[in-house]
Amino acid sequence: MTELLIEQIINGIVAGSVYALVAPGMTMIFGVLRAINFAHGEYYMLGTFSAWYVITKLDVSYPVAIFLAVIITMGIAAVIGRLVMQGLVTAPFQSGVLATLGLSLILQNLIIITFGGTYKIFPGGWLEPVFFGEISLAWQRIIIVLVTIGVFVALEFLVRRTRMGKAMRAVSQNTACCLVNGINIERVVLGTFVLGGGLAALSGVLTGPINVTVYGGMGEAITLKTFAVIVMGGMGNVRGTLIAGWVLGIAESFVAGFIGLQYRDAVGFVILIGMLMVRPTGFFSVQSRF
Amino acid sequence: MSSRFASAVGVAVASFALSCFVVVPAMAQSDVVRIGIVSPNTGAAARYGAFAWRGAQLARDEINASGGINGKKIELFQGDSQCIPTEGVSSVQRMIAQDKVRVVIGDVCSSVTIAMQPVVENAGILLVNAASSNPDITYKAGVGGYKWSFRNYPTDENRASVVLKYATEQKKIKKFAVLSVDSDYGRGAIVLTKKYLGEFGAEIVSEDYYKDKEADFRPVLANIRRSGAGAIIMYGLADTTPIIARQMVEAGLAGKVILIGSAEFNNPEAIKIAPTALNGAVEAAAYVPEWDTPKNHEFVATYRKAYAGETPNVHAYAYWETMRLVAAAAKEAKSDNQDDIRKTLSTMSYEGVMGKVTFDDHNQANLPMILFEIIDGKPVIKGTFNTQIKYSTR
Repeated sequence: MTELLIEQIINGIVAGSVYALVAPGMTMIFGVLRAINFAHGEYYMLGTFSAWYVITKLDVSYPVAIFLAVIITMGIAAVIGRLVMQGLVTAPFQSGVLATLGLSLILQNLIIITFGGTYKIFPGGWLEPVFFGEISLAWQRIIIVLVTIGVFVALEFLVRRTRMGKAMRAVSQNTACCLVNGINIERVVLGTFVLGGGLAALSGVLTGPINVTVYGGMGEAITLKTFAVIVMGGMGNVRGTLIAGWVLGIAESFVAGFIGLQYRDAVGFVILIGMLMVRPTGFFSVQSRF
Repeated sequence: MSSRFASAVGVAVASFALSCFVVVPAMAQSDVVRIGIVSPNTGAAARYGAFAWRGAQLARDEINASGGINGKKIELFQGDSQCIPTEGVSSVQRMIAQDKVRVVIGDVCSSVTIAMQPVVENAGILLVNAASSNPDITYKAGVGGYKWSFRNYPTDENRASVVLKYATEQKKIKKFAVLSVDSDYGRGAIVLTKKYLGEFGAEIVSEDYYKDKEADFRPVLANIRRSGAGAIIMYGLADTTPIIARQMVEAGLAGKVILIGSAEFNNPEAIKIAPTALNGAVEAAAYVPEWDTPKNHEFVATYRKAYAGETPNVHAYAYWETMRLVAAAAKEAKSDNQDDIRKTLSTMSYEGVMGKVTFDDHNQANLPMILFEIIDGKPVIKGTFNTQIKYSTR
C-alpha cells in the first residue's frame, strides 16, 4: 500500500510538473496585463507540433527538436504579442478575454487545416524505464521533473535579480509609476509573453513522448488546468505555481488511482471553485507575489 | 396607413426572399442525390472520421463512374461531429436545412448517433448508421420507435460475451480490469460484459473509464499492475490505444496483461510503437482488411489504389459499404426519395463484402463480427460470430 502511495505521488509530481511549466507564462501575463490568456495552452500545443514537424519532416533529432520547438513557438508568440497582446495594455478587461479566446480558436483551427484533425504519433524521447523497486519510470518523466525545478530556479533569479524581472514586477504593481519612471510597458508585456510562450512550448515538447499523440485540440485541457493552478498559486505569483502544479498533479493522481479515472478532470474544477470560495488569493500571502 | 403599407411591403419582400431560398435548392436538387456524411473529423476519434470520409468518397466516385443512382450523380456533404453529441446534432441540422440532404450516413460514435436519431425522425430524413455499436440505437428503431433510423453495423450485444468467452476459455484469464472510454459505447459494452461474468466464472477487479482526451494512464495502470488482473477489458478509441499501449510498456504491464475488447488493436501505428503491449490482444470487430474473400481483396485493392497505398480500416469499409447499400436500395426502388429508399431497405437483400445484408424489424442489419488476436504484430482471425439478437430477451 505504501508503495502504491509513493507511486501515485510520483505520477502526480510528473503530471504536476507539466502543469507547472505551463503556468508561469499565464500567471506572469496576468501580472503585467491583468488579463487571463485563454490561448495559453495553444503554445503548449504549438511547441509539441513544431517538434513533431521538425522530427518527422526534417529528420531532426529529439534534443535539437526541443530547442527548435521552443524557438519557433517564441517566434509565433512574438508576432502575436506584437499584434494582439501589446494592444491589450490600455484595453478593458473583457477585450483580453475575447482576444485570447479568439486567438485560441484561430491557432487550433490553423493547425487542423494545415496538418489535418487526426492524432499524430510523437516520435523520439527517452523512454527506457528506470526501476525503483517495483516502480518503473521512463527517463523522460525524470527529465521533466528536473527541467521544471531548473526552470523555476532560473525564473526566480530572473524575477528578483535582472532588470527585465524588476520591470515585470514594477508593471504588475503600478503601471502609472512605470510610465513616470520610463519603463516601456509594451516592451515588458511582449517580453513576458514570449517567455511564457516558450515555457509552455518546452512543457509540450517534453511531454510529447509520454503522451504519445499530438493533435490540434490538445492545448484546451491544459489551459483549463493551468487556470486552476494559477488561482491556487495566487494570480501573478510565479513560485506559487510550482507548488500549486504539484498539488493539482498529486490530487489528480490520487483521484484517478483510488476513486476512478473518470473523475480526474473534475479535480481541477473542484479545487478552483473551492479556492475561489475559501481563499481567492491562493495558497500564499499576497505579499509573496512577484 | 403608412405602417400598414410598410408591413405589406415587408411581407412581400420577405415572401419573395423566401421563395428564392426555396426555389434555388429545389432546382439544384433535381439532378443530384444529396447525401450527408457525419463523422468525427477532429477530436479524439478523428482517425475514424478520416477513414470514414475516404471510404464514403471512394464509394461516391465508384457509383458516379458507373452511372450514378438512376442516372443522377451523388453529391456528398461533410459534417464534423467531433464525437460530441451536440456537434453531431448541429451538423445534421445544417445538412438538412442548408444542404437539403435526403439521406445521412453517420456517426461513428454511439453517443452522437443516439442524439441524431430524434432529429432525423422529426425531419423525415433517412439515417443509415454505418459504425456505431451501442445496442440501444436499434432497440429504439423500427418497431421500437424511430422509423427513419437504420443501422448497417453489428451491435455490441453478442460481442461482449464472445470476447469474454475467448479470454476465459482460450487465454485462461479469470480476473479482469476495465479501462473503457467514458461514453455510451464504452460504458454500454461493459454493462453487457457484466451480464456474462457469472457464466464464464470471470471477475472484474477494477473499473475505470477514460475521457476522450485523457493522456495520462499511469495512475490507473499502477493499480491494475497490483490488482492481479490478467487482461484489461477495453472498449475504447483507436487514437488512445497507442497512448495506453506505450504507457503499459513503461509501467511494466506489457507481456503480463493483455488487452481485450475493441479499440483497433490492429492499428499498425500502435503496434509499431508498443509491440509488446499489443501482442496477444483480442478484439471483436465488424471488419478487418485481412478478411479473406475475393470481394474484400477487390475492395482493399481499389482503396489502396485510390489512397496512395493506405490500407482501409473498419470505418473506411463501413462507410464505403453503407454508401453502396443506400445506392443499391435507391436503384431497386427506382427513386431517390428518402421514403422510397427507406421502404426498400427494410425488405431488400444486399450482397456485401461481409455477406448477405438484411434488416430485421428493428432496422438492424444482420451482420457477422470477426474475432482476431494480435500474434507477432499481425491480426490473426480466430473466427466469426453472429450478432443477431432476440429483442424479447431483454
